[in-house]
Amino acid sequence: MASQDTDCDSELARRAAAGDRAAFATLAERHYDRVHALAWRWSGTRAEAEDIAQETMVKMAGAIGSFRGECAFSSWAYRIAYRTAVDHIRARARVAPFPPSQMLELAESADYDSPEDAAMNNDLWRAVRELPEQQRDTVLLVYGEDMSHGEAAAVMGCSEKTVSWRLHEARKRLKIALEAVWEAD
Amino acid sequence: MTEPDLARLKDVPPPRPEAKRAALAAALAAFDEAKKSGSETKGTGAPVRLRDASSRTEGRKPMRLLHTNRALAASIAALMVGAPTAFMIYRNHAERPAGTFANVPNALNGDRFEAVAPPARLPAPAPVAEAGRQGDVDLAAAPPAKPSVPAHGVTKKAERVANYALPAAAPPLAKAKDARRFEAVGAMAPRLPQDAADMPPPAQQEFRDKFDSKDVNPVKQVAQEPVSTFSIDVDTASYAFARRMINNGRLPPKDSVRVEEFINYFPYNYPQPESAETPFKPTITVTPSPWSAQNKLVHVALQGYALQSAQRPRANLVFLVDVSGSMSSEDKLPLVKNALRMLVDEMKPEDTVALVTYASGSGVALEPTKIADKGKIIAAIDALGAGGSTAGAEGIQDAYRLAEESFDRAAVNRVILATDGDFNVGVTDQGELKGLIERQRDKGIFLSILGVGQGNYNDALMQTLAQNGNGTAAYVDNLNEARKALVEEASSTLFPIARDVKIQVEWNPARVSEYRLIGYETRALRREDFNNDKVDAGDVGSGHRVTAIYEITPAGGKKLVDDLRYGKKAVEAPAGGAGLELGFLKLRYKLPKEDESRLISTPIGDAQAVEKLSAAPEDVRFSIAVAAFGQLLKGAPYLGKYGYDDVAELAKGAKGEDSFGYRAEFVNLARLAKTARP
Repeated sequence: MASQDTDCDSELARRAAAGDRAAFATLAERHYDRVHALAWRWSGTRAEAEDIAQETMVKMAGAIGSFRGECAFSSWAYRIAYRTAVDHIRARARVAPFPPSQMLELAESADYDSPEDAAMNNDLWRAVRELPEQQRDTVLLVYGEDMSHGEAAAVMGCSEKTVSWRLHEARKRLKIALEAVWEAD
Repeated sequence: MTEPDLARLKDVPPPRPEAKRAALAAALAAFDEAKKSGSETKGTGAPVRLRDASSRTEGRKPMRLLHTNRALAASIAALMVGAPTAFMIYRNHAERPAGTFANVPNALNGDRFEAVAPPARLPAPAPVAEAGRQGDVDLAAAPPAKPSVPAHGVTKKAERVANYALPAAAPPLAKAKDARRFEAVGAMAPRLPQDAADMPPPAQQEFRDKFDSKDVNPVKQVAQEPVSTFSIDVDTASYAFARRMINNGRLPPKDSVRVEEFINYFPYNYPQPESAETPFKPTITVTPSPWSAQNKLVHVALQGYALQSAQRPRANLVFLVDVSGSMSSEDKLPLVKNALRMLVDEMKPEDTVALVTYASGSGVALEPTKIADKGKIIAAIDALGAGGSTAGAEGIQDAYRLAEESFDRAAVNRVILATDGDFNVGVTDQGELKGLIERQRDKGIFLSILGVGQGNYNDALMQTLAQNGNGTAAYVDNLNEARKALVEEASSTLFPIARDVKIQVEWNPARVSEYRLIGYETRALRREDFNNDKVDAGDVGSGHRVTAIYEITPAGGKKLVDDLRYGKKAVEAPAGGAGLELGFLKLRYKLPKEDESRLISTPIGDAQAVEKLSAAPEDVRFSIAVAAFGQLLKGAPYLGKYGYDDVAELAKGAKGEDSFGYRAEFVNLARLAKTARP
């Protein structure tokens, strides 16, 4: 186990793909926190973040067998987490009778599960979640996940230029949205 | 103006260790599963159950769990009764020749809604996307109009208001329509705030109007409208919601307050009916109104018959249990499991139970099994664990399939969904889900939702889903609620004793000049609906009680509404004894297996009157205090100077035995409401 902990992702991923349970366990343990953080950024609540994170881990387990090391394991894991989160939010939008932004407002007027949930739903977070989907994802990947434009482009499957452009648009929108909120206060 | 500090988006709270453990255990189980069934295909076997993951969280606080669990078992029981109530609301509208979502709410709200339909078409997202593609120049030259943003805020507010009122009558369908709109805008295309704002929000505005119009029952003139007709309502969610808000120092939104649900939340010891054949006993009390010197209150208490255990029909239950990651907290899945165990103890040997789990996939954890085989059931419950599974089937279909397998027309057939708000039950399209639930309902299989965990956000969703189906959502939000549900309801309310219960009161114009019904705004029926057995109304479970209160102005008193100059005058008093009555109460109901309604009727007269409010029974006084409280929160204009202090005072003097402290809690709530902000 000690050696597992120090092995690099790619080696562990290779062994996990070949069916090494301990190697996969180490990888899962190592990446859960980041996956969970990503899930929280996208969903905005602990409960949903936990659901998304778990679903991501389960999907990773099912797919690791076909991981061939074409990219870094972390990017691979990210893509799964990202897609799971986006799917989850879309599914919610289908079931939910009103959009997430309004649910958040509804929730705010009553109470949150926790102060953490409240902190994750301040003006900035809310404005970000109200961005068009692609802009939202770009902002969260670059600023939230601290990715380079290139990494974000790889996760979203678009060009770096598109990433830069979306960021530019998103910043403009955010500024307008937040100014309006502040003026309203 | 500075740039927003986007670096703040990096900070998120750390994961909960339990959730992490559960997720990792689920992942490893899925890993093993994948290995077993080949690396490429997804597992198809039974869902993976993780004893480790759940038992760890379960063992922690046994005492607390025990209490809440018992409560949950009780809630499940309550659910089974409550469901038909929502069902009838639904069916009521479905009968209209509508076919589209937009038409349906018409049934309730007259013409208003028709106007909504056109603007509710999908706002086309295309132009915005186009504009976006043209690049920087266009957008810089014409930045999105600023005023549009506040406009959006208004929209949201309006919808929020609307949504609060939704657990009421018509809403499920109104919401469904809305959901469809958001599906298109939100999921398929980029959703831009400006998009919604540029399209003026008539739909939402109308929604708001719609609920405002249901505000408070107005004062009616006996001379013009002597008959008042409504459906009973045994829901109590509105009170639980208000309590949560007031405890947080906030007043609940007016539209969320349904006075009858406040009143019906509390247990009362009304006189019991003698047999299940006549399942109701109405008790009437006429008392002076505490907030208006000349007016009187007519308090109508209905006590439903409490079935003895031997009289209960067989139960065929399928539990559809959410085992997704967030269910791992100790107040969720472990709680559900303990509640299930307790419920199994309460059931009869010939009853059946089945278990289906869902997370990322779903699986049958227990085929329908007779309670007689208790060991097997308990083992299956024990084995439930928060863990995703990649098994492919779809949860809700599996659940219905099992319910059909052991379907029994003479039994109570029900799917009960236990979740903290993850509704990925296998069908994500709302229309499809609704259709499925509807078809199953017609076959005689009902759906209820059991909510665990806390948070209004989930609560609202559960309400919506349950109402879109034909069930109710039960929710345990604290220990006290828990105890209530268990002690008061679990043992006796598993089964309905009467369906389509309607009340009609005819007032005698010789004695009463004006009246108003307190609450039941969303339950009003037309006069002719009373004798029409095709028109559905609320259902009542074993042991339930329902209270309705009228405020009346005796003939000759000072009226709020002037007489008509040209209207009919000088009402002839009916000859004989009837002329002395205040009014006449009629109650229609159907026995659970019958299609023809039965009638109970009784005059309302001076024999039931008390001189002073203090002479009225404790239960009557307390329920009047609750009615006043609800009206204050709702902003009803009829209470004059009567305030929260008066409410607290009246309730305090009528607490009675209050073994479980609900009434004491109410007194506190009335005091808290004084300082709560809107």
